[in-house]
Amino acid sequence: MKRKSIKLLSLLLLLTMILTACGQANDNNKDVVEPKDTEIVEQEVVEEVEKLDFEGRQMNVVTTSEKYVELFDAFAQEVNAKVDFLSMSSGEVISRIEAEGGKPMADLWFGGGIDAFMAAKDSGLLESYVPKEADKVPSQYRDSEGFWISKGLTVVGFLVNEGLLNEKGLEAPTTWAELADPKYKDEIIMANPAISGTNYGAVKGILDMYGEEAGWAFLEKLNANIPFYGKRGKDPEEKTVAGEFAIGIIPADKSSFDAATKNNLTVVYPEDGIPWVPEGVAIFKGGEGEDIAKAFIDFMLRDDNQEKLAELDGKDGAQMIKEGVGGYDLGLPVDKLIDQDISTFGSMRQEILSRWEKLTEGK
Amino acid sequence: MKKKVLDSLDKILMLAIILSVLIFILYPFVSVFITSLMENGSIDLSYFSFVKEESYLIKNSITTGIYTTILSTLFSIMIAVYSYTSSNKVKKIIMAILMLTIISPPFVTSLSYIKLFGRRGLVTYGLLGLSISPYGQLGIVLMQSLGFTSMNAILLIGYLNQLDKTLIESARSLGAKTTDIIKDIILPLMGPSITVVMLLSFIRSLADFSTPRIIGGAFNVLATEAYLSVIAKGNIRRAATISVILFIPAILVFVLYMTKFKSVAMSQHGTNSGEGISLKRQGFLYNIMKIGATFFLVWILIQYTSIIMSAFTDMYQGKMYFTLDHFRDSKISVMTTFPRTILVSLVAGIVSSVIGLILEYYAFIRNYKIAKIIDFIATMPYIVPGTFFGIGYILAFNKAPLELTGTLLIVILNVTFRQLPFASKVGYSTLTQINRDTINSVKDLGGHNLHVIKDIILPLSKNGLFISFVNGFTSTMTTIGSIIFLIYPKQKLATMVMFDVIESGKYGVGSVIAFLIILICLMVNGLYFFLISRKRRNKDVSYGIQPN
Repeated sequence: MKRKSIKLLSLLLLLTMILTACGQANDNNKDVVEPKDTEIVEQEVVEEVEKLDFEGRQMNVVTTSEKYVELFDAFAQEVNAKVDFLSMSSGEVISRIEAEGGKPMADLWFGGGIDAFMAAKDSGLLESYVPKEADKVPSQYRDSEGFWISKGLTVVGFLVNEGLLNEKGLEAPTTWAELADPKYKDEIIMANPAISGTNYGAVKGILDMYGEEAGWAFLEKLNANIPFYGKRGKDPEEKTVAGEFAIGIIPADKSSFDAATKNNLTVVYPEDGIPWVPEGVAIFKGGEGEDIAKAFIDFMLRDDNQEKLAELDGKDGAQMIKEGVGGYDLGLPVDKLIDQDISTFGSMRQEILSRWEKLTEGK
Repeated sequence: MKKKVLDSLDKILMLAIILSVLIFILYPFVSVFITSLMENGSIDLSYFSFVKEESYLIKNSITTGIYTTILSTLFSIMIAVYSYTSSNKVKKIIMAILMLTIISPPFVTSLSYIKLFGRRGLVTYGLLGLSISPYGQLGIVLMQSLGFTSMNAILLIGYLNQLDKTLIESARSLGAKTTDIIKDIILPLMGPSITVVMLLSFIRSLADFSTPRIIGGAFNVLATEAYLSVIAKGNIRRAATISVILFIPAILVFVLYMTKFKSVAMSQHGTNSGEGISLKRQGFLYNIMKIGATFFLVWILIQYTSIIMSAFTDMYQGKMYFTLDHFRDSKISVMTTFPRTILVSLVAGIVSSVIGLILEYYAFIRNYKIAKIIDFIATMPYIVPGTFFGIGYILAFNKAPLELTGTLLIVILNVTFRQLPFASKVGYSTLTQINRDTINSVKDLGGHNLHVIKDIILPLSKNGLFISFVNGFTSTMTTIGSIIFLIYPKQKLATMVMFDVIESGKYGVGSVIAFLIILICLMVNGLYFFLISRKRRNKDVSYGIQPN
């Protein structure tokens, strides 16, 4: 009897492994649809770049999501290095470095709201490096002294569950102004901007769009409609998909459009203004793999890898920062992007967050 | 000459164990206290002002703790009594279901709870047509109760099994009704163990940060706030202060537990014949117990079925379909992290068991006073939230002479010493079963104390060592709180990856990882049952109490 159950267990585990392996085999067919023209570009660029070889050394990365694994693997293979990564929100990265007495957590910091990068630069945590193709990135998307560079923009939109709204006889909102209407009370979910770079971008965008005082007045009205703030960056999307809330404030990218199609939802770009936030990339000061991290930033800025990044991030072409790099067409109306002041993204962070916390106390 | 060498080895061994407990348990604790109380070398209590300003956090934590304690204790009593009065077959099924919740990683159940009981939940909306918000205190209390009840029930069952059955049997043969036997004999006899279970539930509820984080909604508790202080506010001092506040009720309850009820918790390891009693399965009270227990067990099963379902299915436009995509997507993370996770768990399980046993040897066989104090310190990781222990490690080991942050070693040390409370308790109860005369006779024949350890203590404690190894292994495999702040990119463990992918919204992939963690723990536990049951068919196995 006992022996049987052990056998059964081993069998189960074995089965799982086989399943995993089979799953892998199925996957091969999917890769065929890659666009052809990127390959040509790739060949040209590779010829220009001299071959780097890091002899199996290690680069450690903190990043916002494990979805970049493909890009890291490609880099690891090209330069013969090992890449390990850990996903972490940008606020958490800063907190932990502070807690550990300024010791860098990794060599490369990939992704996360630019405000955290600005703060890290001010705390002297970053290493300056001007990558090879920096001149092809508009100056507003990179630090003048080379401490950070942007890898793309996150734009903020609404994920709307119309089924839920219809039950209450409501229409999908198309503007921020509408969102603050009391009729949407308790139907909206947003994440804590201290945790979510996207939602910090939303708050900052609203303040830039309305102006300081009117902006806070608006946030107060919006706050009345929000029962609580998610404690995880992914909360708004997840909870809207799960049907817990009718409207989620989310980063509008391919994955949210996919999630929308999958679950009969819609993604809305707010018509009165789309907040956005650049995502940073930076090298930590004093890491052992500093040179590998520098090579990675060069690698990342190459056209072929930018295309790859656009694909992994699921970004509209207008969200990419290097000139001439395409992406998905997600119908992002570029003219609706709010005229935001990037320079104050980092410097105003503390002030904005503490005022926000007072405003939303207990949620 | 040889004796001298052995003597000094003996001293070195004891010193090493004492020092390791002081450095890896006491020092991190002290660091947390110092951080919360001091600013630039002088005492500064300004951070404690939140006790007044945000007193609702304390109220929330305490009320949640009380509700969870009541609910999980009630359920566990019902399960224990029902199991006690059931046939051996039913007993085994109940034990298997209870085990399931103990060997699985935390917070997956909270996610499946939303899926099942949320506004569009499969049960609430799909079956019952209700559209209710699952968030808030009720959600936390339900989920915590679900998690704690199993542990409580296993403790109570272990306790019931060793009760003297003659009283019950004679009452029965005198014609007493089942309801009366339960009410007048079984329940009163369970009294002390129920108190223990209540105290433990309360401490664990205070320490739990992940359940409120996922389903608390606007309802915040101290443990979550401590976690958020690190993650969102970058304020480790505030986190340390909140941890200190959480420590106060925990230590009070703990001291009470140590002084009044130590014997109850001790006695549940190892000794017993699993034979049940032959009560008539009828009567009002029996049926209430049966209904309560069945309800709870079915609830656990539904939740776990839902996790396994999510590993194998996905949704498209409201329709569910079978898929192996999640297995494919998890392949890379599984391949890279599982070997490391298993290794770390093995080390933690083995090292903590051995240290625990030898520490108890010095404390209770050799009767060194200092070892007894060390034994008390060694139990402290048990009562604090995992995050407390993690924050302590960051603060203690981020500078010379012990600069360990960023290494795999700090992770291993953390999980190992976190298991020490359990290991030393098992060590203690194992040692009490070793006959003193055996030890004395070795010494009379000229054997050295080290020979006693090598030839008597270790071999005779095999079973206890194995229990504490299995527990250490299982809880390290499923732990997250204490290591979440310590992990670096090259040291990711399985629960971290699961946390990660769930954070990025890949619930299916997260379920696959949870499923695999459960499988591995199941295999190790199964191995234990297999080895032990071959040797001692009738002995009952009791599992330990595991904080988050």
